[in-house]
Amino acid sequence: MAESGAQLFARLEPRRSLKHIEPRLFPDDGGPDHGEVVELHGTEGTGKTELLYHLLCRCVLPAAAGGLETDVVFVDTDYSLDILRLVSILDSRLSAAGGLEEAELRSCLSRLLVVHCSSSSQLLLTLHFLETAFSSRPSLSLLLIDSISAFYWLDRCEGGASVSKQEEKLSKCSELLGRLLRDYRITVFATSHAIRRSYRSPDAPGSSSSSSSSSCSSSEGERPYLCRSWQRLVTHRLLCCRAEAGGNMAAAAGGGNKEQRRRQVFSVHCTSSSSSSSSSSSSSSRLKAYRSSSFYVTDGGVVFI
Amino acid sequence: TMILRDGMCPGLDEELVRELRAADIKTVEDLVSSDVEEVAQKCSVSYKALLAVRRVLLAQHTAFPVSGADLYEELLSSTAILSTGNPSLDKLLDSGVYTGEITELSGGPGSGKSQMEALQRIHIFHAFDIFSLLSYLYSLPATIQQVSVGGGSVKAVIVDSVSAIISPILGGKQNEGMSLMIQVAGVLRRIAKDFNVAALVTNHVTRGGGGGGGEVQAGLGLSWSHVPRTRILLERTESAGTGHCSVRSATLIKSSRQPCHIKEQFDLQWWSTSKEGSAAKRKLDDSDSR
Repeated sequence: MAESGAQLFARLEPRRSLKHIEPRLFPDDGGPDHGEVVELHGTEGTGKTELLYHLLCRCVLPAAAGGLETDVVFVDTDYSLDILRLVSILDSRLSAAGGLEEAELRSCLSRLLVVHCSSSSQLLLTLHFLETAFSSRPSLSLLLIDSISAFYWLDRCEGGASVSKQEEKLSKCSELLGRLLRDYRITVFATSHAIRRSYRSPDAPGSSSSSSSSSCSSSEGERPYLCRSWQRLVTHRLLCCRAEAGGNMAAAAGGGNKEQRRRQVFSVHCTSSSSSSSSSSSSSSRLKAYRSSSFYVTDGGVVFI
Repeated sequence: TMILRDGMCPGLDEELVRELRAADIKTVEDLVSSDVEEVAQKCSVSYKALLAVRRVLLAQHTAFPVSGADLYEELLSSTAILSTGNPSLDKLLDSGVYTGEITELSGGPGSGKSQMEALQRIHIFHAFDIFSLLSYLYSLPATIQQVSVGGGSVKAVIVDSVSAIISPILGGKQNEGMSLMIQVAGVLRRIAKDFNVAALVTNHVTRGGGGGGGEVQAGLGLSWSHVPRTRILLERTESAGTGHCSVRSATLIKSSRQPCHIKEQFDLQWWSTSKEGSAAKRKLDDSDSR
């Protein structure tokens, strides 16, 4: 397709790199760079959404408040975007930076573009539609998809008995995403809901001592269930889980209404595959790096430990 | 999947549809994903015309992006918080049930779920299976609009219980049951958001862990757990001795506004004793209609 000069320029102009968006989450100097994909995976209640909002706020906040001042497209596939929560976090970060102005909040929010999708067909069309946005706005560096797994059961049912038919739509979306990543050098973050709880086998005594306090074993990890085209795209996989805070979480039963000072701690285990020279060939040759971190959640958002 | 049909958009006539079909382009997705230059040549159609058709179809089938600032403005002016009628529960819910979201109450029989809602239903629909529920929900937007044309407003939609309708179809033919469950979730969320309605669902409970010795959990499993924005688990409290006890405990198990696992205790009798006191308030709620 022929491109105008302006479009060509917009495409090639370097977009903001999100490499340093949150160094505490990723292996040393290994944050998400241009063309990379971060997947946040976990069951309900493992802090994925809070983490997503944390990263989102980092993008749209002004430099004075520690932000990257960059534009974000938010693809909402399950009507789960909680704008009020987002605003709470932005509010607290802006006021921490001294001086909360209505105008500042507004300008942060206007860096965010939200689109709703209700099926994977619509997701495919939406991504095509968004291509125009990417080609005309070099300030758009991040595409957020919450969540990429929303249509899994719908597609599985529609695809009948054939697995390839079931995965067809998400595969097409993944391929298109791949092209957008390459052509426009954007970064993609996506959440995916875990559909099976990973049970730690009872006969694995002191297996991983460092992660024995977390409810997910870093050795097994969660088995990915989304189609292979999507799996191949993912550069950094963040596995989120709840850390059993010394097994005393429920002990406050008799403690009445005293505010639970024992905050729920969440763990994130990051597995980064470095895509050397963007060759999508043998995945066995991809180098892997790891990083684990923990955080808890306050009114003002995520606080790393 | 949207099949290309003539008249779908200006420029898409019968002849073009036929040409495209011959080039193996049958759906909107096919056309949008194709190389327009190549297809135009193959179908001996003007490149510009085909490009225009593509652009219109794309605009027709995708939601228009909205700026976060506008979304926030809209939410500020339209979100309402509905009191449950009980201060302890309201406290747990951070003032009450919010419109635009799905709030779930789960509990066993006698836990107080249905009383808790205590919202007078003016319009009751009995759904005996998921298909009739789904078709009712799909037609709800029209009903809601009718109500507002008549001067009223719908503030809450209650599905009591969503698990009674969904559990029977789960387990057997895994795929279809899960898909239908997700469809119910989707349409409820959309109605809540688009019409500023508080969607309330009730769920049963199960005992976790193997052998039923584990703790009480909300039903419908993991895939449903992502659906409601806020979830409350209701239980009878173990009070020493007394047979008939009207005290219940409510635990917040999922929330984007409050730390989880905070508990509140409340008395089911609250609604009967305070009926007179809050009659005036109730009247206000009633006139808002449901």
